Amino acid sequence: MRFPLQALPPFRIILLFIVVPAALSATLYQPDVSGGVWREGKAAWWDVKLLDWGLTGWGHAPRQPIAFSHKLHAGDYSLDCLYCHSAARVSPSAHVPPVQMCMGCHKKKTENLEIQKIQAYWKNQEPIPWIRVHTLPAFTRFNHKRHVRAGVECQSCHGAVQKMQRVEQVSSLKMGWCITCHEENQVSRDCLICHY
Amino acid sequence: MKEFAMENGLDRRDFLKLLGVSAAAPMASCASKPVETIIPYVIQPEEITPGVATYYATVCQECPAGCGMLVRTREGRAVKVEGNPSHPVNRGALCARGQASLQGLYNPDRIRQPLQRNEAGDFVPISWAEAETLLVKQLHRVREEGKADTISFVSGQLPDSVYSLVTKWLAALGSHHQVTYEPFGYEALRKAGQLCFSQSSIPTYDIAKARFLVSFGADFLETWLSPVGYAKAFGQMHSAANAQAAKQAGRFVQVEPRLSLTGANADEWLAIKPGREAFLALGMARLIVEDGPAASISVQEKEQLATLLKPYTPEHVAELTEISVETIRRLAREFTSQSPSLAIGGGVAASSREETATLIAVHLLNYVAGNIGRTVHFHSPSSPTSQTNSYSALLALIEEMERGEVPLLFLANTNPAFSLPPSAGFADALEKVSFVVSFSSFLDETTEHAHLVLPDHTPLESWGDVRPAAGVYGLLQPVMQPVFETQALGDTLLSVAAQVDGQFSESLSWKSFFEYLQASWQELYGKRGETTTFETFWQQSLQNGGVWENAEDTSVQLSSAVFDIVFSKPQFDGSGEDALTFIAYPSSRYFDGRGANKPWLQELPDPMTQAVWDSWLEIHPETAARLGIAEGDRLSVTSPHGTVEAAAYFYDGLRRDSVAMPIGQGHTSYGRYAQGQGANPVNLLAAQPEKASGSFSWLSTTVQLTRTGKRAPLVTTDGSRQQLGRGIAQVTDEHTEHPESHTEEHSVEHAVYDMYPALKYDTYRWGMSIDLAACIGCGACVTACYAENNIPVVGKDAVAQGREMSWLRIERYFEDSSVVDPSVEDSSGEERAPETRFAPMLCQHCGNAPCEPVCPVYATYHNPEGLNAQIYNRCVGTRYCANNCPYKVRRFNWVEADWPQPLHLQLNPDVTIREPGVMEKCTFCVQRIQEGKDHAKDEDRLVPRW
Repeated sequence: MRFPLQALPPFRIILLFIVVPAALSATLYQPDVSGGVWREGKAAWWDVKLLDWGLTGWGHAPRQPIAFSHKLHAGDYSLDCLYCHSAARVSPSAHVPPVQMCMGCHKKKTENLEIQKIQAYWKNQEPIPWIRVHTLPAFTRFNHKRHVRAGVECQSCHGAVQKMQRVEQVSSLKMGWCITCHEENQVSRDCLICHY
Repeated sequence: MKEFAMENGLDRRDFLKLLGVSAAAPMASCASKPVETIIPYVIQPEEITPGVATYYATVCQECPAGCGMLVRTREGRAVKVEGNPSHPVNRGALCARGQASLQGLYNPDRIRQPLQRNEAGDFVPISWAEAETLLVKQLHRVREEGKADTISFVSGQLPDSVYSLVTKWLAALGSHHQVTYEPFGYEALRKAGQLCFSQSSIPTYDIAKARFLVSFGADFLETWLSPVGYAKAFGQMHSAANAQAAKQAGRFVQVEPRLSLTGANADEWLAIKPGREAFLALGMARLIVEDGPAASISVQEKEQLATLLKPYTPEHVAELTEISVETIRRLAREFTSQSPSLAIGGGVAASSREETATLIAVHLLNYVAGNIGRTVHFHSPSSPTSQTNSYSALLALIEEMERGEVPLLFLANTNPAFSLPPSAGFADALEKVSFVVSFSSFLDETTEHAHLVLPDHTPLESWGDVRPAAGVYGLLQPVMQPVFETQALGDTLLSVAAQVDGQFSESLSWKSFFEYLQASWQELYGKRGETTTFETFWQQSLQNGGVWENAEDTSVQLSSAVFDIVFSKPQFDGSGEDALTFIAYPSSRYFDGRGANKPWLQELPDPMTQAVWDSWLEIHPETAARLGIAEGDRLSVTSPHGTVEAAAYFYDGLRRDSVAMPIGQGHTSYGRYAQGQGANPVNLLAAQPEKASGSFSWLSTTVQLTRTGKRAPLVTTDGSRQQLGRGIAQVTDEHTEHPESHTEEHSVEHAVYDMYPALKYDTYRWGMSIDLAACIGCGACVTACYAENNIPVVGKDAVAQGREMSWLRIERYFEDSSVVDPSVEDSSGEERAPETRFAPMLCQHCGNAPCEPVCPVYATYHNPEGLNAQIYNRCVGTRYCANNCPYKVRRFNWVEADWPQPLHLQLNPDVTIREPGVMEKCTFCVQRIQEGKDHAKDEDRLVPRW
């Protein structure tokens, strides 16, 4: 049988068949072994480029139970991040402030519906179920205290939170991304620093 | 084209659609991140910083020893228990049972709220208000019947304040029927002290100071009195460091028919005829009196003693005890020449029907050698188990119950239906009590018979105080909020008292048990004449775990009553040609059985047999050969009082005329981990108490063995009992004696060849040193490792397949028994223990580790600080590394680990929970290393060199 040459797709179809799947697999491929000490320094290009461009958390900005604006608090009012997230200075965990802390300023009766929500939580003595934005896998340890004390700006990882109405993830939080920074600053790249 | 598409039943458009769908599917799954919430505090407690551990000092309640504990909590839940370094009882150490107390707290089989037994016999959950009303109604009923004076309260040892509150509560009702019963209760030790020195308190033994220690069956490294404290003291007395300071380490001789863990650590083990320890002590005492006793003994007393000891010539004693005349003479000689010496006795396994007489003999031996006041100290009545009544008091109560005279019975922290033989009739008598209230937190054999269960907090959730030794006032505090809807026993009592009537509650005016406890500490505060305020004193005591003061010795005189004591051979029930003495020995893991519901303890290998989860019958191989028994045969063990079944385990450290079985297993309820494991040796024992002290006799019967025809080989974790020439656990002579031999051997310089480039370390090189001479093989470190590193418990079947997950294990090897201590002339021909060696085995973090180069994905590697790292998220589970590990310390996750709720609350948040299919191993607790480095960095310094 003669191979049906006419069955070959035109250029557009080649694009759909080959280029799109290739691009998809390149972006969706999340190598578990990317980065690391064994490649003598350089993180894989896709770590730095493709994955940081998105597709793995970038733009993750869940709607929160209270429309808390970091732009207003950290931006307009220039509150220090550590004022509310005080544990970041003394603990591996950055810690979301207790409702009590919000009430420190928001005791007054107000027409603002969002503030009324806080007051309702406080009245019921219930915690606010914030939606987590930045998630690290369970096998990874990250110590906020060490980074804060080393003078790493919160914004280096969390982005310009002071400009965000709703917090969104701007870093991939992939290992290659961690390693890049550790390399630039010539700090340990030992696996055991984060994985145990 | 049409043809092609039709042939395949798929046209181009459909194909493209499918492609679109298959590409979209992963996109969709990628986009929907699981929603995770962060729940902050409403009001953050002052002492809690999320992510940082908080420690609370409290007291261990797993046995009456009263060791101090520091409990590590994270975000309000207890995750790890450590010994309290400033506590005088245990000085920072803690045994496996103490470590496992967390699994009591988080036990999935805990009673979660009050239970009432309905007419069908099932337990129905009810509310606390309902439960209290029910109890109040019962109290009214009993009062109307005019039987309030026979309301009874049976408990194990309780925190002292709880105990005194119970006493007051009963007194307010007009009853004094309070019985405290501990299965390992030391009644005989009290009675012996009473008869010898008119001191009914339990003495303190200064093992650390002793140069020569003879233990007549006391398993002081396992369960006897205060095992952690005494193990610490023994380590001091027996250590190489002490050997250097004092030219020679103290010598320790264990006299017992079955080689216990304590015996395995002795320099010499003497397999005495069961129950005849008294005669050896008397024989030694006689020789000492002949040679000239301690200077403190008056001439008249010496004559009296000589008369008392006259019959116990070495020859006669040798005949009675089956220990040679030479050995007896040598022991007596050493007992006086190695001063100060010390003799102890009173272990559970040796508690025969003549136990009191045996302990009097031990006291006499100490007395003639002048040890009283030097290594044996009597104090004021405050001492361990000071609440303990005797076993006979419980028997008397059982009789009353049997006669139907007890209208209302309370049970707390006790399980007599398990720890007493069936012939004591406790379970039957319970049925005759019209209303039984249990405060137990677990549905055990006794609580099953209760009409109402009012679950108490576990010790880690409770307030209380414990006075375990003279001058030690330990304080219990809750380390976290109660896990379930339980209520403190004291609070329940006070709340019920307030509801009964005004008259009752008048004498119990405290609002809560906490207030009552503080009131009793006010007294102590007043007595001590503190300069600070009470609040400061209270806070400091809480912080330190209690207060301690120096206890002064009470000087004692030998009582004349001792000269009337008749020493006779103990009687054993049962006889016959093949009758073997039955030794029920206390388990270092389960104590009297209360530890059996903790999976860590079930999976911790028994120190001597290395068996897990089960119970077994130890038998000497020669005896077994005589009876035609093969190892692993399931035997029916029959005494005049009952029958149990257990598999035979061949054990060289046992007399040929005896068999032995551990106490603590054989639960018929008590939760999923305890139930149906092994057999309960108590079922074979006699219920009659020992005459002199009223204690329970654990060494009282003989048994007959018959094969059932079934086989049930024991699951052990040791591949072999011998080292088979591999030199894993090596020993060397005491350095002090032959320093020259070592320098000669090791001074020869030789080149080091290595295929690998030399390793370089920048700042740190981590290592762990273990003093092998000090290791007693108890296994506390193994349980601590399980707790710290989230190691899963896999169960008996998986262990049988070699799939246990312990990162750290204690290897036990028996050496050829012909090798004996060369300093001992061995002409006696008596039984000798196989030499036992313990080798703690964990990842050695080898320099050029063989596991590293075989890993295809670089999951294991040597880190720049000398740790052999294992990166779980990188591991693909080839298991090449485990194959290549010469120490066999790598463990593979075959199945998904299971922590039935709420056991999962104990998991250490600083350690990853490993998935199935990955390898794991000892990390040298890298999370703690990181924590230490973190602290050091905060202070801008390095972790100090050890």
